[in-house]
Amino acid sequence: MKRLLVLGLVLVIGLSFAVSAKKVAIILDVGGRGDQSFNDMAFSGAERAKAEFGWEVVDIASNSENDYVPNVRNAARDGSFDLIVATGFLLTGALNEVAPDFPDQAFAIVDVAAGPPPWNTQGANIMNLVFNENEMSALVGALGAMTAAQYGYTHFGAVLGIPGSVLYHFEAGLRFGIAWANTKWGELFGTDPGINLLYNYIFSFDDEELGESTTTAQLAAGAVGVYNVAGPVGFGDHRAIVNAHTQAGTLVGPPYYFGVDADNDYFSHTLASGMKRVDVAVYEAIKAVEEGTFGAQVAANAAAGLAGGYVGTLENSGVKLSKAADLLEFIEFGIAAGAEIDYYQTIANWATERAALSDAIWDAIAELEAGILDGSIQVVTANTDDDMAAVRAEYTLGAP
Amino acid sequence: MTEDKKQASRLLRGIHRTLTGLHPALESVLAAIVGLLFGALIMWVWGYDPIVAYKTMLLGAFTDKWGLADSGAIAAPLVLTALTFSICLRAGMFNIGAEGQVIMGGLAAISVGFFVLPSGLHHVVALVFAMVAGGIWAIGPAILKLTRGVNEVISTIMFNWIAHFLSIFLIGAVLLNPFSADQTIAIPPSAIFSKLIRGTDLTYAIFIVIGFALIVYFVLWHTAVGYEVRASGLNPSAARYGGIKNKRTMFLAFVLGGISAGLAAAVILMGSSATHAMYRLHGQLRNIGFDGMAVAMVGRNHPIGILFSAMFFGGLNAGGRLMQLSSSPVPVQMVRLVMGIIVFTMSVPELARVFPAVKRHSVGLVKEMKRLTSSKGRR
Repeated sequence: MKRLLVLGLVLVIGLSFAVSAKKVAIILDVGGRGDQSFNDMAFSGAERAKAEFGWEVVDIASNSENDYVPNVRNAARDGSFDLIVATGFLLTGALNEVAPDFPDQAFAIVDVAAGPPPWNTQGANIMNLVFNENEMSALVGALGAMTAAQYGYTHFGAVLGIPGSVLYHFEAGLRFGIAWANTKWGELFGTDPGINLLYNYIFSFDDEELGESTTTAQLAAGAVGVYNVAGPVGFGDHRAIVNAHTQAGTLVGPPYYFGVDADNDYFSHTLASGMKRVDVAVYEAIKAVEEGTFGAQVAANAAAGLAGGYVGTLENSGVKLSKAADLLEFIEFGIAAGAEIDYYQTIANWATERAALSDAIWDAIAELEAGILDGSIQVVTANTDDDMAAVRAEYTLGAP
Repeated sequence: MTEDKKQASRLLRGIHRTLTGLHPALESVLAAIVGLLFGALIMWVWGYDPIVAYKTMLLGAFTDKWGLADSGAIAAPLVLTALTFSICLRAGMFNIGAEGQVIMGGLAAISVGFFVLPSGLHHVVALVFAMVAGGIWAIGPAILKLTRGVNEVISTIMFNWIAHFLSIFLIGAVLLNPFSADQTIAIPPSAIFSKLIRGTDLTYAIFIVIGFALIVYFVLWHTAVGYEVRASGLNPSAARYGGIKNKRTMFLAFVLGGISAGLAAAVILMGSSATHAMYRLHGQLRNIGFDGMAVAMVGRNHPIGILFSAMFFGGLNAGGRLMQLSSSPVPVQMVRLVMGIIVFTMSVPELARVFPAVKRHSVGLVKEMKRLTSSKGRR
């Protein structure tokens, strides 16, 4: 009898636990999992919530753009999800169509600011997760420009995906950073190195071959390295960098790869990454639902006129230039995503590459970072085509 | 020797009868079942629960109004591209050009965003634009075939690529949306089909699709032109001897097919699409033409059969999205695998039909089997 009671108790506890497990749906665009960047970062944020709050994580892929609306709607109609996360601005249209029909369903969207449709999303049930990508891109640009100056290169390169406000943040920051570095180098060593920017929008977030050929072209034009601003395309960019080293017979030194979103410093020939903690943003959205503050947060942000329920900045480490601690964390991330990594060799290589740059460079980067943090340096940004044109006119960086 | 030959032909006839003697509809059903079973095997091997997954898929796609409507929305353009393929096949040609014709139709439909018209008229203009563009794109391979004898399989594939790259240029340089560089301008609300069931992808365009399929059926089976098309497909020499102008019927079949494919693009962009715009690499229109060929095969190249098989494939895709939400979350790509197996299975009886050469080899096979069995008996 006693045993039966215990069994019953266990059953009841087990069932109540099963019922109370909350669920999050991560809806991906056609890029999908396995990019060791944007999409995998969103997923790892949900995995963290799984470990901490016991949430269940379901990832939903799309065969084509036709699947975006039905995938969001099916998840909402299913009714079992406590939060639905749309990963990336390609899902903006789908969220705008579905979210008003399900006012009690909590949604979050990465990379889309709060604002009127069709290019933004708005609603009491939508949390916007956005980033000040210009801040860490300024650091990447400054580091790239100074690296170019030290090694006698003339350019820093960037391969960007589909233009839009998110990528304009990156480009504006890059331009600001390179210009700042040119001035700073002049102050330190007497001559302005005049490092310029090579940039190409390839209008794709999944065409690795195009990334590879674009990178090869930029290297041929004198780029010291290439900053990947197109998620999965980075694999192609990185191949081009490795090919350049193979052809030149070099093992260390330039050209360098600069990763994005995740810390990709565990890739070979990678000096730094412009980190954008999509995982933290997704985790914060899940945490808001877990703690029951989701609706209040969204309402408060709307009242304050903020761009999002989560804004990743240099200050809250939502965006940052990769550091040693990040490398240790993200080697695990890379291994989990299927990369073949020699743990100690990778760390040793990375440390060697960084040590090869003069201390003056690292001091200057630290100065820029501190300046952005305390507000004495304001990094320019851009949202629209007009903003971007103005920034390009201000920081021409070699363009006529 | 003669004994072997007789036995071989009996064996072959047996296989042949089993494979080809089935009612065509039954053959399709069989292929679908084989495809689903193979998919189940793959799921089981990779540790998913095929019963849960298929239950989610089939119940989700065919038992409630949401599922039925979403299945129908996916089926609608597939019906039209399937018709493209089967009209030409009925006329004795293998037209793989639907993919390119869909793209051209899509570009033409988008271009109505440049001018303002009252609602009903705007729909008509957009539909006509798309149909004309698809039809014109089919004329190229048709002329190459009729004047220079260029194989339509080759030329249509090439025209697909031309359309692909032309669309990248036109989307980037002419139709581009100034506010969002990943897509074209949108088709304006005055040319958009409203939803038949709110909260699904199904729009009033479905009636146009069904109507078009019925018209094609009527033209092919109940008019003189249709009779000529089918006759020249069954036996071109006999048709020509009977006074049918083969070239004219071939041309007609190509253009009608192109019109159908162009309409498919309009149905997607004016109907189910969320943004009513084309993306840079026309992802919404990708594979619509090729999937249409699978639908045509399973639908036995008959407009009415195609309506049913398109609904089946639509259900597979709509249900496939739901499989990801089930307690055994099968990747969405599984649906593509099942579709591939179905096409593969469908072609087996066709192979038995078109390769009488198998007969020659089977003589040797029977001989060898006999030798083996008799030598065993001797020992």
